[in-house]
Amino acid sequence: MKTRSLNRIILYASVVAVCAFLVFPIYWLFITAISPPDQLRALPPKFWPDVPRWDVFAAIIRERPLLLWLSNSALAALGSVIISMAVSVLAGYSLSRFRVRGGQSLGLFILTAKMLPATLLVIPLFGIFRSVDLIGSLWSIILAHATLIIPFTTWMLKGYFDTIPRELEQAAMVDGCSPFGAMVRVILPVSAPGLAATALYGFVLSWSDYAYARTFLTNAQTNWTANLGITTMKGEYISNWADISAASILVALPVVVIYLFLERYLVGGLTAGAEK
Amino acid sequence: MAGIRIEHVTKTYGSLSVLKDFSLDIADGEFVVFVGPSGCGKSTMLKILAGLEEASSGTVHIGGRDVTDMAPGDRDIAMVFQNYALYPHLTVRKNMGFGLKMRGTPADVIDQRVANAAKILGIDHLLDRRPKALSGGQRQRVALGRAIVREPQAFLMDEPLSNLDAKLRVHTRAEISALHHRLGVTTIYVTHDQIEAMTMADRIVIMKDGLIQQIADPDTMFRRPANLFVAGFIGSPGMNFLRSPVFDRAGVPTVRLFGREVALQASASLVGRDIVVGLRPEHIAAGAGPVTFEVQPRLVESLGSEKYVYLDVPEENRTQVARIENSDDEERPTDTIIARLINPDERAIGKHITLSFDPAHLHLFDAKTEIAIQ
Amino acid sequence: MKLGFNLDLARPSRRHWLGYLLLAPAVILIALIIVYPLLVSIDLSFQNVNIARLDQPRKPFTTANYERLFSSPDFWNATWVTLKLVVIVSFFCFLLGLGTALLVNNKFKGQALARLLVALPWAVPEVVAVVIFAWMFDSSFGLINWIFIKLGLIDTTVSWFSSPTAAFIVVCITMIWKGYPFVSIMMLAGLQSIPEDFYNAARVDGANAWQRLVNITIPSLMPVLGVTLVLVMLWVFRDFSIIYILTGGGPLKATQTLSIMTYEQAFSFFKMGYASAIGVVTLVVCVIASRLMIGRAPDTI
Repeated sequence: MKTRSLNRIILYASVVAVCAFLVFPIYWLFITAISPPDQLRALPPKFWPDVPRWDVFAAIIRERPLLLWLSNSALAALGSVIISMAVSVLAGYSLSRFRVRGGQSLGLFILTAKMLPATLLVIPLFGIFRSVDLIGSLWSIILAHATLIIPFTTWMLKGYFDTIPRELEQAAMVDGCSPFGAMVRVILPVSAPGLAATALYGFVLSWSDYAYARTFLTNAQTNWTANLGITTMKGEYISNWADISAASILVALPVVVIYLFLERYLVGGLTAGAEK
Repeated sequence: MAGIRIEHVTKTYGSLSVLKDFSLDIADGEFVVFVGPSGCGKSTMLKILAGLEEASSGTVHIGGRDVTDMAPGDRDIAMVFQNYALYPHLTVRKNMGFGLKMRGTPADVIDQRVANAAKILGIDHLLDRRPKALSGGQRQRVALGRAIVREPQAFLMDEPLSNLDAKLRVHTRAEISALHHRLGVTTIYVTHDQIEAMTMADRIVIMKDGLIQQIADPDTMFRRPANLFVAGFIGSPGMNFLRSPVFDRAGVPTVRLFGREVALQASASLVGRDIVVGLRPEHIAAGAGPVTFEVQPRLVESLGSEKYVYLDVPEENRTQVARIENSDDEERPTDTIIARLINPDERAIGKHITLSFDPAHLHLFDAKTEIAIQ
Repeated sequence: MKLGFNLDLARPSRRHWLGYLLLAPAVILIALIIVYPLLVSIDLSFQNVNIARLDQPRKPFTTANYERLFSSPDFWNATWVTLKLVVIVSFFCFLLGLGTALLVNNKFKGQALARLLVALPWAVPEVVAVVIFAWMFDSSFGLINWIFIKLGLIDTTVSWFSSPTAAFIVVCITMIWKGYPFVSIMMLAGLQSIPEDFYNAARVDGANAWQRLVNITIPSLMPVLGVTLVLVMLWVFRDFSIIYILTGGGPLKATQTLSIMTYEQAFSFFKMGYASAIGVVTLVVCVIASRLMIGRAPDTI
């Protein structure tokens, strides 16, 4: 019995230690944000500021075009998610339900496309977007992000549709639906949680991108995304770490919130297609 | 309501042939059961009838209309699925009314028909629930309700009872039969369970490897099985098979079973052929009779009112027929036969017991073709 | 009631047409934004192009880019840096990821919260992760320098981003912190698919905790481990944002991976033909690795 409780104590102690160690950088980001700038240079560093600067978030929104950046990020994410979901819901359903000639090779290609290095694709996309005059426009990253998102969402949705019994649409067809009607009236409503999780996952992918935004939008200041904006703040002559940290928190917040919602679906999303 | 005519339907997937030349006429109002082991093609045929699968060749007529390549929704049939396939996002009421709504039936008519069907099935109090909140038995009723609300020309049922526990299954079986009597709608029912087939069917279609083995009413199926497969599949426990050559004894064709010579009531032309003799477990009796033999049972199972006695088959009588025991797709070893004794005296295993049978009860099959010899 | 178009597709003989119709939009879009650019980049890698313009005539075919590439010390340096980074980061991601997964997989109060926290860095955008570590490793006021001095590990502040070795270490630490939660999440899923009965049986047989880990847990995780390893390695191999923002590949190309080199050649030196050649080489590696992974994953998760 005694070793039992000792084991418990060791377990709790190690959990606390590991969590503290791994989560500390996030805590430090937060502390940096709410510390007065002069305290950041204090040695020894303060692990909790004397006077927390809670208004830092309001201030940074006032002083920097952060809201513009965030809304650009949101627009780009929304646009690429809508485009990606529109095509991958249909394609995922087809891959799940129909034995289409070439369907398997298409699935394999999409799976490989998940592994494409962005630094390779960004070069031809740059050339293509230059020819059609999209450089600097949000459309450039909407389309570029779709190349990241479609492979993920297609496989995630195929996997989700695979878990829904075929008898559901068979019943709907016997009840008088066309095959397309059975999908729209029965399968899609039943898949709502999976569709939502997939869309959120795509949102995170787009929101987290830096490479495409850096390449296509650097010269179009009004279209900067949040990630791009933050890196420009970091590049300034004297980095104001408090401001950068505060901005970073605002940028990370949406994806962290999504993560909290998405945790259950995470594994499915991360491995989607891998088990083929 | 309507009759159904299936003519020369086949189904192949690439080189795999799952349905070979299926033809059947079903009368208006008839209850037909397709039965067979898994993979025999019975469900495929049902899906072709429903329009959920395409036939590779052949035609299907429902009520005189050629529906071979017609959309499932235009065939005026209703289907009950093994897993019920209730729409999880709709209430029971909407589930049952879905088919009518798709056909543009006015809302008040739908309401009334749903209420009627719900009353028949005793599920009126469940109408506003979602399928998730129902028990297995209740879901099954909703699935039935969704079918009868439509008032279709035919019901197609794909193993509708196999997800229920044993007790509920027996109960629902009787209910479906009663429902059929009441509504009189042509019904095609697919099952792997011969008991369901025997108890519910007007006619049974028994299938194996994509081929129809026999089409007959339950009594005929039981008394005059067309071949070894049917004989072994119908009845529980299945028929015992003993192999023997036929020889001549004073002009009478005779076989040797358990070391006894048994005269057959059959034509003399059998002499010289190898045959398989079938004997149902319930036709073996305790004590002396027309043909009496002594054996040492290998195992005795008591079911209370009756006992199953497992007997070793003499080497010379063993068959090579790999047989599928009904219902559970389990193979029974060929060196064992079962005697089903009703209320026998207490007997212990290991002692010799006296058993007998009447040669009149024997079924004869050609050993090579496995077809019944009449 | 119904559209003629739907009515047709409902026929059993035509239903499979719908399968093609549903795939069509995805196929067209993928062809436009993935396949076509891929072909363009392969085409570019065989031309002497500075800035890619599609509305200009194609330059003559040449293999000069590849010849230059394979004889360039920069390329081999980048390959070496990439290899080092992939091995080191993957190794520590696994150590940390597997460790936290095993720890958090114990039953205790607050397990759900611990699981969330342990995997939290996964959700932090790479740019933000860079902000965090760039500040912690700041040469004048960074926390790490202060801690190291306090611990007596160093005498004076280290200028982390000016020393090749130090910069490489910072890149590694940032990537490990960002990358281990993925391993942890995957391992947790794998651990949860191991039946409890295995452990009970082992306990009955008298196996201690270490024996249970070596004989049950690790073998059962093998399939998941394999796939996760490939995915992590590919992530490190392809990653651009973390290194680019943190060090830009410097100092002295100490953190210049193939991805960084590709990007630099294309958008700093405007040698897009040459950059494409590097990109095609990385593409080949990625395709081979992803093919290795396919068919290896378990279907339990």
